[in-house]
Amino acid sequence: MILQTDTISLTLQGNRLLNDIALDVRPGEVLGLIGPNGAGKSTLLRIMAGLLRPETGRVLLDGQDLFTMPPEQRGRHLAYLPQEAPAAVGMSVRDVVTLGRLPHRRTASAEQDATAVQQALDAVGMSAFADRSSARLSGGERARVLLARALAVQAPILLADEPVAALDPAQALTVMDLFGQCAVQGQAVAVVLHDLALAARFCTRIAVMSQGRLVSIGTPAEVLTDTLFAEVYGVAVRRCGEVAVPWSLVSSTRRP
Amino acid sequence: MNRYALTVAILGALVLALAILSLAAGPAGIGVIQGLSDMLHGRETIAATIIGQIRLPRMILALLIGGTLGLSGAALQGLVRNPLADPGVLGISGCGALGAVLVFYTGVSALWAPALPLAALSGAGLATLLLLALTRGGTLVLVLAGAALGSMSAALLALTLNLVPSPYASYEIMHWLMGSLSHASLHDVLIAAPGLLIGSVLLFSTARSLDALTLGEDVAQTMGFPLRAVQWRVVLGTALAVGSGVAVAGGIGFVGLVMPHLLRPLAGARPSRLLLPSALGGAALLLAADLFVRLPVSGAELQLGVVTSLIGTPVFFWQVWRLRGRPV
Repeated sequence: MILQTDTISLTLQGNRLLNDIALDVRPGEVLGLIGPNGAGKSTLLRIMAGLLRPETGRVLLDGQDLFTMPPEQRGRHLAYLPQEAPAAVGMSVRDVVTLGRLPHRRTASAEQDATAVQQALDAVGMSAFADRSSARLSGGERARVLLARALAVQAPILLADEPVAALDPAQALTVMDLFGQCAVQGQAVAVVLHDLALAARFCTRIAVMSQGRLVSIGTPAEVLTDTLFAEVYGVAVRRCGEVAVPWSLVSSTRRP
Repeated sequence: MNRYALTVAILGALVLALAILSLAAGPAGIGVIQGLSDMLHGRETIAATIIGQIRLPRMILALLIGGTLGLSGAALQGLVRNPLADPGVLGISGCGALGAVLVFYTGVSALWAPALPLAALSGAGLATLLLLALTRGGTLVLVLAGAALGSMSAALLALTLNLVPSPYASYEIMHWLMGSLSHASLHDVLIAAPGLLIGSVLLFSTARSLDALTLGEDVAQTMGFPLRAVQWRVVLGTALAVGSGVAVAGGIGFVGLVMPHLLRPLAGARPSRLLLPSALGGAALLLAADLFVRLPVSGAELQLGVVTSLIGTPVFFWQVWRLRGRPV
């Protein structure tokens, strides 16, 4: 399934938040959405998830308008992982992940549900904690459980808003690797990221946003140029030539 | 049998036992089975009259009102994700009572009987809508808004009592405000039952949505459960259930607070799993309280709402104690 934004724009309370954004997320790829704070990345992701209606333009799922699709059908096609989630009440980890099967309640069998939940728990390495109360988890464990909930939907489209922001480097790598595996299995994944090194390493394509506009889109090598760092982020970089982090940030190019 | 099924089975048996006891308890020493059989065969015996006109309506109303109060407490707590939500605590019952008293006081209900439940429904519905509009402000705002609604309805009720022309009418209103089923009649059952039943269906229909909401409004919406749809069903369901109950039995508080709290450890943390046990528990609690007020303790019959409040306030204190020190 392809998720496509067809020149969408949004103005809220007089602020132009998004300006003619046209991009698509294709099966088998991890699309990174990057850009400075306030660029409109999360707003765009919320529109792609069907949570916000664009002012103009359309969001298309395999050519069908997302906002005219029945909510239940949309729920099966698209999984969304928000940046912040409420502290789950004292449910067990397995119960929380099982909630991801709600969109399938009329279409899937109990065995299919159980298999999907177990696969999701295995994928994030939380099977051993399945019966533990979700109230007794660390921040990183909780993030993985919520990710497992999104994986359990087994939706062709997976949208994640800063999924690694609260994770330590090792867990961040594990989670990004997991998105890569989802893409390999044919899912279309879009991830909002702040960590450019992770974006460079794990994303198939990167979309750069600045002040509500799509500045650039392409492979990491095409997009992450010195000019982009200077113009979009206002930082100067020094290339180090290493694989994972081919640059280091040396100074701000913005005037105070 | 798992713990959930066992909980439901035990509560169901308890409700059944209390319902039978409720039919059997009373000053007139009559046989329940004899009375029921006379009533069903249309024999106009004293036993048939007492069972059919007095005890059966009282039992049905205690069962339905208690059940819907427990259910609406559980649904409200699931919707706003806050264990302090209860139709009584949040002023919904008070506003329902205000609506009913205004119609009663102005004499409209004497001209057109459905005006009483409709006014109670409207009062409860408006209060629930206002609270929902304020839930986005978080726990503190919600509880304060509930306190404000409760105080407002209490003040306006006091004003109405103040202006009532005859002491007899003011006694009538007072008596009814304290919550009672002692004058329950078949007519009351007919007035209240449709709202109580439709309200229950609406509230039960939110089960899956309430589960989804534990993940937050955004995730619930992306899973196919638009928040607005759940909110409307809970508002309408609560207004119908609480309004209809208030219209015939007056203000009966804290059932919706007590039952989910007591049953959560047994039924689990999933909101959908709490609905049926809370409804059964609420029915059992009100049946038991209504049996208790019939005991000849002090000569005067205790008021039902007074008893449930005496049971409920310690639980309320306990909830506040547990929430202390948490950020609001």
